[in-house]
Amino acid sequence: MSLLRLPRAVPALRRSYATAANVAEAAGVKVVGIENGSRPSTTSVTVAIRAGSRYETTPGVANVLKNFAFKSTAAGSPLRTVRETELYGGVLSTAVSREHIFLTAEFLRGDEAHFLPLLASVLSSTQFLAHEYSELVLPTVQGEALAAAADPVAAAIDTAHQVAFRRGLGNSIYAEPTSPVTLDAVKQYAKAAFAKSNIAVIGQGISTEALAAAVESTFGGEGAGASSLATPASQYFGGEARIAFDSHANPTAQPTLVIAYGAAGAATPELSVLPHLLGGESSLKWAPGTSPLAQAAAKIPGASVRSFLTGYTDASLFGVVVSAPTAEAVRSLATEVAAAIKGAAAGVKDDELKRAVAKAKFAEATKLETADSLVAAVTPAVFGNATLDVASFDALSAAAVTKAASTLFSAKPTVVAVGNTHVLPYADELGL
Amino acid sequence: MVLLGGPTGISLVSQVKAFGLYNFLKPVANAYARAAGYRKVGLKYDDLLVEERDDVAKAISRLSAQESYDRVYRFRVAFQQDLMRRPLPKEQWVKAEDDVRYLTPLVEGVSKEIQERDSWDTVEVERKAI
Repeated sequence: MSLLRLPRAVPALRRSYATAANVAEAAGVKVVGIENGSRPSTTSVTVAIRAGSRYETTPGVANVLKNFAFKSTAAGSPLRTVRETELYGGVLSTAVSREHIFLTAEFLRGDEAHFLPLLASVLSSTQFLAHEYSELVLPTVQGEALAAAADPVAAAIDTAHQVAFRRGLGNSIYAEPTSPVTLDAVKQYAKAAFAKSNIAVIGQGISTEALAAAVESTFGGEGAGASSLATPASQYFGGEARIAFDSHANPTAQPTLVIAYGAAGAATPELSVLPHLLGGESSLKWAPGTSPLAQAAAKIPGASVRSFLTGYTDASLFGVVVSAPTAEAVRSLATEVAAAIKGAAAGVKDDELKRAVAKAKFAEATKLETADSLVAAVTPAVFGNATLDVASFDALSAAAVTKAASTLFSAKPTVVAVGNTHVLPYADELGL
Repeated sequence: MVLLGGPTGISLVSQVKAFGLYNFLKPVANAYARAAGYRKVGLKYDDLLVEERDDVAKAISRLSAQESYDRVYRFRVAFQQDLMRRPLPKEQWVKAEDDVRYLTPLVEGVSKEIQERDSWDTVEVERKAI
């Protein structure tokens, strides 16, 4: 019995490294190093900048700024950056979310003396050359926007944010062909974004002390003081959007419907359990799961239903993604999803809740085990925002979850249909 | 046409400056530029750079929209004057102060990039002493 209990205790212990207590400050920048033993020979350093799409001054500028990373700096050309990284044996990558821009360097242990100045130079001395913008940056920006538009799920979730939150969090993380971004807008956004108070350095496979020492000696050229970027406090609106989608452009694309509900405030344990309660994806391969949504999806071959909860610092969005081979199948499946949502709002059974809590705890704990999800999970805590505590899931009661669900689902739903809009259902036809 | 010394040809300007001959030779250079006649048909010196080269073509693609338009317009004027076998009226000649090197810095930037790529392609790596 004690052996069975042991693995459950471990994630709760691991959770401790994301607390404010072990965030150091070096050169005015927040620093945290995580030595979790899963990276014996490599180190990954991520610079998180609080300048994601919700802070945008011009639509798409965050995506452009992300793609301007690792271009010409005072230290050297992009070619030099790439070739030196290859010689050291490293990987440079960038990502943008609705709240943060991430610049990541992964390298062999001991090479931080090369890679930290590289990351620092991106922040302090990127040149923003006009020809690099048109030759290197814009094609990538356009490609990302096109790829997202050709993926019905990505397009639907992006639009769902826009419908749910309108401004701020509603901003797309991709650039839009209808609103061009000028180079001057990028420069000004970068100047505002790269303020010291806006930057955190998160290391994996390196101790906080070692990382802080390296940051102290390399970071320093960034703008001092507070960031001038602002975002409106998130408010949930809800509504409907219908996107006609030409499936010839992407033969694997399926008609998709997203039903989402938003709530103000960061994700609570009650809300975090909800996607696991409704389920969707089976935890057992080749078998339909036991959750209500998975069983609904199993009736239609090739259909999939997935529920998700995306947490932000001041809002969270719960959603269900319904995809099926035909628009008619999406229509029938969406009606069942709506019924399952109503069922959850009406009352949650104890045994279902137990299963969902176990899955939610596992999902939260695995977030801290993989390199990519760890950065996204730890970043809000480094910036001093509240994060979920795995232990708090144990205290959940069926009544509390039912109450949270009925409050959430009583708001106006966000429904985004992508595909053949002549067949796909309207929001008021689903019985939500 | 193959040019020695890169897209802009051989230049002795650094030697001339080093020997203090700049002020002495400047009037000669000005007279040469006047005599060459390109200003009489509305062209600037950088319009004459051989553009059938990858580096110059790349540099031309980096001109701003306005510069690029002006360049094409100057060509149209020059072709027209050439067709009519007569120079522009004297007040429309390109003045010496307007004959700036708008393209050369870009061409130099491109050739620097090409040189850098070549040097990285042939770099010899030494293993760090551990």
